[in-house]
This record gives sequence, C-alpha cells and structure tokens, in this order.
Amino acid sequence: MSMLAGNLDLLLLTALLTIVLTYAMGNRRVNGWCATGLYGIQLLFLIMMGMQYTQATTNLQLFSSSLTATMFGNHLVWEMSGLGWFFAVITVGAALFSSWYAAGAWSEKRDGMRLFHVAMAVNVFSMLLLLSSGDLLSLFIGWELVSWASYLIMTQRGGAAANAAFRYILYATAGAVAILAAIILLHQKAGSLDFETVRTYLAQAPNALVWVIMLLFACGFLIKMAAVPFHLWQAAAYSQTPGPAAAFLGAISSRMGLFALAIVLINLIGVARLIDMSIPYTFLDARTLWLWVAAITVIVPTFIALTQTDARMLLAWHGIGQGGYMLLGIMVASPLGVSGGLMHVFNHASYQAALFLAVTSVVYRTGTADLDRLGGLVTRMPLAFTTMLLGIIGLAGLPPMNGFVSKWMVYKSLLDANMPLLFLASVIGTLGTILSVYKLIHNTFLGQLRLEYRDVKEVPWSMSVPMLVLGGIAFITGYLPGLVLDMAAPAQAVLGIAPLPHHLGGVTAATGSLNMIWVVSILIVSIGIGALIFYGGNRTSRVHQFDNYAGGHFLTADMRYHYSHNFYAGLMRVIGPWYRGSVQWLETGLVSISNFSADLANGIYRNAYTSAYLLFTVVAGLTWVMFG
Amino acid sequence: MSLVLVIAIPILGAFLLPMLSHRSAVLGRLFGPIIIAVNLGLALSIWQHVTLNGPQVEWIGGFAAPLGIVFHVDQFTAILLLAIAVMTILLWPRRMEDPIREPVLSLVLMGAASGLALSSDLFNLFVFYELTAVASYGLVASRATGPSQIAAIRFLILSAAGSALALLGIALIYSITGSLNLAYLAQVAPTLLSGPLGMSAFMLILIGFGVKAELFPVNTWVPEVYASASSRVSAMLSGVVSKLAMVVILKVLITVYANTSASLVMLVVGLLTLVSGELAAYRAKDFRRMLAFSSIAQLGMVAMAFSVSGTAGLLAGFAIMLHHLLAKPALFLLAERWGGHLDRLTGAAYSSKTGAILFLFLALSLIGVPPLPGFWAKYLLLTALFGHDQSLYYFAAAVLLITTVIEAAYLMRILQRLYQHKNSTLEPHRASELVPALVLGGTLFLSVLVAAPLGAALSGIARSSADIPAYIQRVLPVDVPKEINV
Repeated sequence: MSMLAGNLDLLLLTALLTIVLTYAMGNRRVNGWCATGLYGIQLLFLIMMGMQYTQATTNLQLFSSSLTATMFGNHLVWEMSGLGWFFAVITVGAALFSSWYAAGAWSEKRDGMRLFHVAMAVNVFSMLLLLSSGDLLSLFIGWELVSWASYLIMTQRGGAAANAAFRYILYATAGAVAILAAIILLHQKAGSLDFETVRTYLAQAPNALVWVIMLLFACGFLIKMAAVPFHLWQAAAYSQTPGPAAAFLGAISSRMGLFALAIVLINLIGVARLIDMSIPYTFLDARTLWLWVAAITVIVPTFIALTQTDARMLLAWHGIGQGGYMLLGIMVASPLGVSGGLMHVFNHASYQAALFLAVTSVVYRTGTADLDRLGGLVTRMPLAFTTMLLGIIGLAGLPPMNGFVSKWMVYKSLLDANMPLLFLASVIGTLGTILSVYKLIHNTFLGQLRLEYRDVKEVPWSMSVPMLVLGGIAFITGYLPGLVLDMAAPAQAVLGIAPLPHHLGGVTAATGSLNMIWVVSILIVSIGIGALIFYGGNRTSRVHQFDNYAGGHFLTADMRYHYSHNFYAGLMRVIGPWYRGSVQWLETGLVSISNFSADLANGIYRNAYTSAYLLFTVVAGLTWVMFG
Repeated sequence: MSLVLVIAIPILGAFLLPMLSHRSAVLGRLFGPIIIAVNLGLALSIWQHVTLNGPQVEWIGGFAAPLGIVFHVDQFTAILLLAIAVMTILLWPRRMEDPIREPVLSLVLMGAASGLALSSDLFNLFVFYELTAVASYGLVASRATGPSQIAAIRFLILSAAGSALALLGIALIYSITGSLNLAYLAQVAPTLLSGPLGMSAFMLILIGFGVKAELFPVNTWVPEVYASASSRVSAMLSGVVSKLAMVVILKVLITVYANTSASLVMLVVGLLTLVSGELAAYRAKDFRRMLAFSSIAQLGMVAMAFSVSGTAGLLAGFAIMLHHLLAKPALFLLAERWGGHLDRLTGAAYSSKTGAILFLFLALSLIGVPPLPGFWAKYLLLTALFGHDQSLYYFAAAVLLITTVIEAAYLMRILQRLYQHKNSTLEPHRASELVPALVLGGTLFLSVLVAAPLGAALSGIARSSADIPAYIQRVLPVDVPKEINV
C-alpha cells in the first residue's frame, strides 16, 4: 500500500474548524448556512481524494495524516483507506443535506440551534476520525468519540429525548467495554495493535481465542448497529432527535458499527477463517452465525415498524432493519454481495435522509407525526409527497430507485452462494417493508384530509429543495448505479474481496445481469405512453378533495371515513402473538438485577456497627492465613 | 537541604499559627499560605534534585540503616510531596468565624502526609500515619455540626482499632526479624516472613492501614464522613490521605511481600472494594455520598493495580492515583454548592454553566472516555490485569469493565438531571469554589494535550520505583549482617 499526498489533514482541520465556527456563531441564522458551506468544502476535499483513486494503480491507496501519537508503546496513526473514504463521503453528504435543511426556515424562531449545529459538527469530526483510524487503539478512540457525539446529538432536546439518549449511552458503554476487552486481549497476545501485526497473529491463533475476540468485538459493534438483540434503544433515540439531525443519524450513524465490523471480521480475521470456525455440535460456523444475526435483524425490526403509529418511529425501525441487509451482503463476502452491501449503505443513506426530512416537513406544518391523525396531505404538500414517494420506493427496494439495485445484488449473491433460506428471510423482510411504507405514505398523504389541515401549505423552498435533491440522488443512482459501484470499488479492495465487474448501468454476471439503464428507461417510456393515453384522451374532470360519496350518501368533511388506525388489523391478528417482547424482558431483568445488587451494597454501608466488620475481617483473614 | 524540613516547617507553622493570629488577624490569614508556599518550593527543589541525580536517601541524625531512621525519595515520592502541597493550598479553608482549627490541622496534615510519603521504615510510617489520622479526626469534626461529630467519633473508633491492629502486625514483624527497616526486611523476608506468621502480619497491616485506604470492608466510615464533613476536608481525605495510606500498603507489599500470595489478597480486597463501591454509588441519592462511594471504587482499582507485581502494576496504580487525586477534589469543590439530595440538582446546569461543564468533563474522565486521562489509567490497569495471565485476574478485569457501565449509569443520570429544563433554586458556584476546581480540571485537560510525553515519563517513574534491588542497594549500601541480635 502506498501513501497518497494527504488532503486528509485539510479535511480533519476543516471539520475541526466547523466545530469552532458553529460554536462561535451561536444562534444566528447565518450559522446554518456557514455550516452547510463548510460541509460542502469537506465534501470537496473528499471528492479530490476520490479522484486520486481513478489515477491510482491499485485501489489500496491510503491517505495519510500527520496526526500520530505514541502512548505506552502503542503507535497511533490516522490514515484513511478506501473503505473509510466511502463511508466518509456518505457521512459528510448526510451532514450537508441535514444542515442545509436546518439552515433555512426550519431554524426560524427555534432555540437551541447552536447546540444543534455544534453537535452535528462534532459528530462529523469524530466520525472522520473513526473512519481514518490506522490501528486498533485509534479505532477505539474514534469509536468512543463517535458514541459520545451521538449521545450529544440525541440528548439535545431534553425530556423524552434525554431519557432515550440515556438508555443509548448505557448500551454504548457496554459495547465499548466489550471492544476494549478485545483490544487489550489482542494487545497482550499479539504484542502490538497495528493492523498487520494483529492480522498475522490472528491467522495462527487458536480457534477458542479468535472466538472470544470476535464475539467481544462483534457485540460492541452490533450494539451501535442496533442488531438483534441489541435493537431496543435505537428507534426511540433517533425518533426523538430533532428532525434534520434524525435524518443525519438515520442515514449514517449506525453504519459506523458496520464499518468497524467489516474491518475486524473481513479484514483482520478473514472470511476463510470465519468459515473455518465451526460452532461445536452443529453444522454452523461463525459466518453463518453472523448471516443469521443479519437475517433476524432484517425481519424483526421491520415487522416492529409495521405496528408503529409514529412516522418517525416507523422510519427509525426501518433503519435498523435495513442495516441487516448491509451486514448480510458483506458477510456473504462474494464480490456481488459485498458490493451490494456497501452500495446499500449509500442508497439507504439517500432515501432514509429524504424520508426523515419529508416527515420533518409534515411535522413542521401540521405539528404532529402521529399516523392516526394525518391524512390527505397530497394536495397540500405535493413536494413532500413526491419526496416520500421516491423514498418509500427506494426503501421497499423497487425499481427505478437505487434501493432496488443493492437489494437485487444481495438477493443474487445469497442465491449464488447457495443460501436459499437466507434469501427467503430477506424477501420476507422486503415484504414487511413494502407493507409498512405503504402504511406510512397512505396515512400521511393519501386518503381523507382532515379539516384542521385544510390550510396547511407546502414547506418553504429552503426545506423542500434539499429533500428533493436527496430523492433525486436516489433516483439517479438507481438509473446509473455504476456511479456508486465505482465509489464502492476501493472499499471492496480494502476488504480483500475481488472487484465486481460492472458498468454504468449495472452489473454483468454469468448467472444473470442487471442493466438499470434499460429497466428505468423502459419504465419511463411506459409511464410516458400511459401519460399520453391519459392526458391525450377524454377530458378528465377535477373533483374537490372534500367532495365524496359512499353508498349514495354525501360525506361531510367532519365525518371520519379514513381507514388509518390499526391499519393492518387482519395481518396483526395472525402475526400478533409473535410479538412477545422477550428482549425487552431481558433488558428489564438486567436493570432489576443491578438495582438489587446496588441495594445490597448500600445496605452493607449503612451498617452502624462498623467495628464488627473489622473484627470479622481480622478473624477471616487470620483463618485464611492459618489454614489456606 | 534536609528532607526533614518538608515535615518540620508545616508542623512548626501549625504551632505558631494560633499565636500569630492572636497578635494580628491579617498575619494569621497569610501565615498558612506562606508556610505552604515554602513547602511547595521545597517540594519543587526536591523534585528537581531527584530528577537530575536519581533517587535520594537521607539518614536522620546520621544514624545508618538498618538501625537508624531513613528517608527515601524517588520521583514518585517527589510528585506526592508536590501534590500534597498543591492540594493543601487549593483546598485551604475559607474564612470562618473561628478561623484557627481548620488551618492548623491542615498544616499538621500536610507535614504528617509528607512524612508518610518519605518514610522508609515501619516505625516511622506508623508514627506519621497516626499523626495524619489525628489531624483528620480533628478536621472532620471541625465544623462542629452534629452529623460531622458523630461521623468523626465513629471514624476515630474504627481507625484507632485499625491502627492497633497495624501496630500488632508491625510488632509481629519486629519480633521475627529484629528490624523495622523496609530494605533490610526485603532482604530477610523470603526466609523469615514467608510462613503463616509473616502472612498474618501482612493481613493485620493491610486491614489496619486499609481503614484509611478505604478498602472493603473497613471503609464503612467513608460515606458518612464525606457526606457530613466540609467538602474541602472530604476532598483532602479522599484526594490525598487515602492515597498515602495506599502507598504505605504498597511499600510493605513490594518490598517485604513481593512474589507471595499477598498479591492475591490485594486483588480480592480491591475487587470487593470496587464492586461494592460502584454498586452503592449507583444507589446513592446524596451527591457527596455518591462521591464517597466513587472514591471507594477508585481506590479499589488502585489496590487491584498494585496486586500485579512489576512495573505494569505500579504504572497503572500511579496513573489511577494521580488521576483521582486531581479529579475527586474538584468534584468535592463542586459539591460545596451542589451537596445534598440529588433532586436538588434539577436544572442546576443553567445557573452554574461552568460547574456543569466541569462536572461533565470529570465524569467522562472517571468513566474512561478516550482521550481523557481517566481512560489511559483504566487502559493501563486492564493491560496490567490481562498481562498477568491468571484466571482470577481475567475475572477481575471483566468485573472492572462491567462496573464501568454502572459508573456511566450513575454519573450520566446526574448529568441528565443537571441539564433538565427547569428553573433551579440553587445558587451558582462562587469563585472561591470554582477557581480551584478549574485549576484541577484544567490540569487534567492539559494532560490530554501532553499525553504522550507524560505517559512516557510516568512509565520511567514506575520502572524506577519497581526496582527493589536498586532500592535496597541505596538504603543499605554496605552489606550488613543478616542477623541482628536483639
């Protein structure tokens, strides 16, 4: 691997500058625009770094930074690989759009904007530090900074948000101590914490030790990804975060766990070793374990999302579920699978951010995100509707959006790897997603418009442009997926997987190709033909939205005939019993045990006859000495 | 320039202070800080001397070891002397109606603590330990409120019983070996003190000194005393005195009882201290009690660190001690305004912004968030525990990691309450409380910026302190006969 002239220093310095400037500018309106501009500059630096890949001989180039330190014999370096670069582009892009949305009318007459922008800047900086870590200790430092930065951004609103963020930080600390245990264990066994030494050591370490290290690392990183069974904290925390910040978190925050997991499992341990490590008394191995964790993460949160009545909670649960697809693709470890998983990170970021921003727009105008209380807003907020439509088609993974391409690649890689059950699991997840997102758009935009919302207007341009651009990105990268696949190629090389032959429109594979240019073009042409027939034919008559009849009766506007509450009643009657809350029970149990032990300890210290302890200790100690 | 000055000047000052303050109130107020400044200057010159010329030994009265009293100072001891002086000045009592009790006792405490750091034989250690204890009893009771007096009495009883036990242990060692000099004992211990009698002596010394070192289960005085005494006294006790008691135990452990099962006892005691401290802190509903339990837990970590023999254990222990020495007094200074039931703290961050930021910083450092110094201290401890490669040590490391989560829980709970949106009835912190706390917090913050060279320096210090053969060679330069006829 050779070093490239670093724009990394400039990137990190700009990120640091963003923090300082957003803090200095306080609650002024210009703060948001300044932050957006600075994120744009950071994205520019990243693009300049990316262009060097096209000129480079291999995709294993590292961008080095002058940030190094030596602590207690450990040499800490910060350098960005292709994998880090891929995630960094998504991070800064998500921050750019969120900050753009928040810079305009959304922040008018809203207090706490300084904390909002500073928190997002701190998040971006810490994520860039994590993504450019060059050894395990700097990875841990970056990881902790990211965890606490996420806490800051989640807790800023106070109240219920602070409670959700508190639950998050407990999970995050538990994950962090697991990661620290694995790192120090590796340090003791391998002698050093840089990636090459660790990789060489793990290659010849006994299976039991690799199992322990892998489980410790994986549990720590999976907590951030909110994979099952660590999934309980994320939805509440993300949905309580202020709108654009929730878009940022939902787009990229939990993917930091995926980044670290990919490094440890694929780069350091290696897929061949994972397949080698079999679980005793079963026919499964470590890779199958993670594949099934991913599959369950696809299914369970998606069907929890199905039952949600808060639009933001619904989206947050979907965010968790889609993470399962990414993990699934990466663990299959074939060129197609890894590309699919990585591309899904980008795609998901684009439409998840768009969806969160659309929901935030609805909240901005109507004051609620409760799906039982909305409806019919399509005529009042057509731009938000368009964004949400593009978003949910992407989320469901249907053409012409980019979500379709990455999901297709994941499905195909599962089938190519002879894993039909996992393929079935991912398809069940897609089914749940389709049902759930239809509920989202139906309850919000379609159906009957409530009287209290009949004067609702579209959101201002400063808010609708960024979300439409995001939707547009989702469409364009669906049309031309080769753009994202080009970006993911260096990342794939870092993971040690062979490159995927692709072209601008999609993938050519021996077992079946995908050419989105054809697919989308045919779709557009068919819609065009349909539009010609529709608009060129008979004159249509426009009917007022409140002009409705049922059974021959005229329905007045105050009569509720919109079917939104308990939307999937029939389905829930069938699958309802499956919602047992077992993991919730586990969490409550752990908290109870802690409280009980704490009461015990407190009871020991409340004793008034303290000298009795002294006597007892002396007797016990001397007994141990005499007879032990 | 003799090392005795560092002890003699504060104690002399303590005796002169009441007389001077009778003559002139202004002189009385200034005299204490002047004495401390002199002591600080002495400590700095000692530090410089030791850094340039290596560890120093001083024979009191010219009598050579092992019969005479020996003072030994290496770089770590010099840091302790500096810390004692700095802490005394930062935690100097504010003006009160009867201004003499606390300053006098603080000066005595400073002298006695310096003596405790310098002493190199068991008798001298015991003398200065008792002097420190008496000064602390007086300081705890100095506010003359009902709860603090009760706490002081209970503390006195427990500590006196503990001192009696420690004296019994010392007498046991003397009866077996005929000497109390640590270097001489280090030479004869493998043959004479490795049996049950020797181990009993260690147990008695551990339990006896463990009272002040806040070890389980003789640390029940801690929550009571820290909650009822004045915050500055609690800060001094938890920041300085407990560390010195732990250093006493350390000296005995690494010179006399190295490579015995005494290390295992230290580990178990440290583990129990850590677990009981963190769990009780989770349950605590009073701010100062929470700080007391947190202090207990951190000292448990120090004990666990010292149970690992060699440089790694010493390095971890020193790092945790120094970190806690800076962090906990700062928290106690914040507690001057924030002490009491935790519910009083609702919304306090909006009336005292700097205090809240400082609390956030210190809490993150205690939990162990990189790149703050508390993280490096815990990292060193974990490295030492993992490096020992025994199953009990792995278990201890796992317990340490789990208790970190509990620590995060109770500290973040308080932080959440501080930042709750509610008009607080608490007054903001005064400058006299905030400035010393900011000095301590600022030192911790600066240590982040110079983390790498600081870590390297600390490693060097630990290496030199762990070198027992060199220590023996320094204290007993000529070969002395193995047997002393008593």
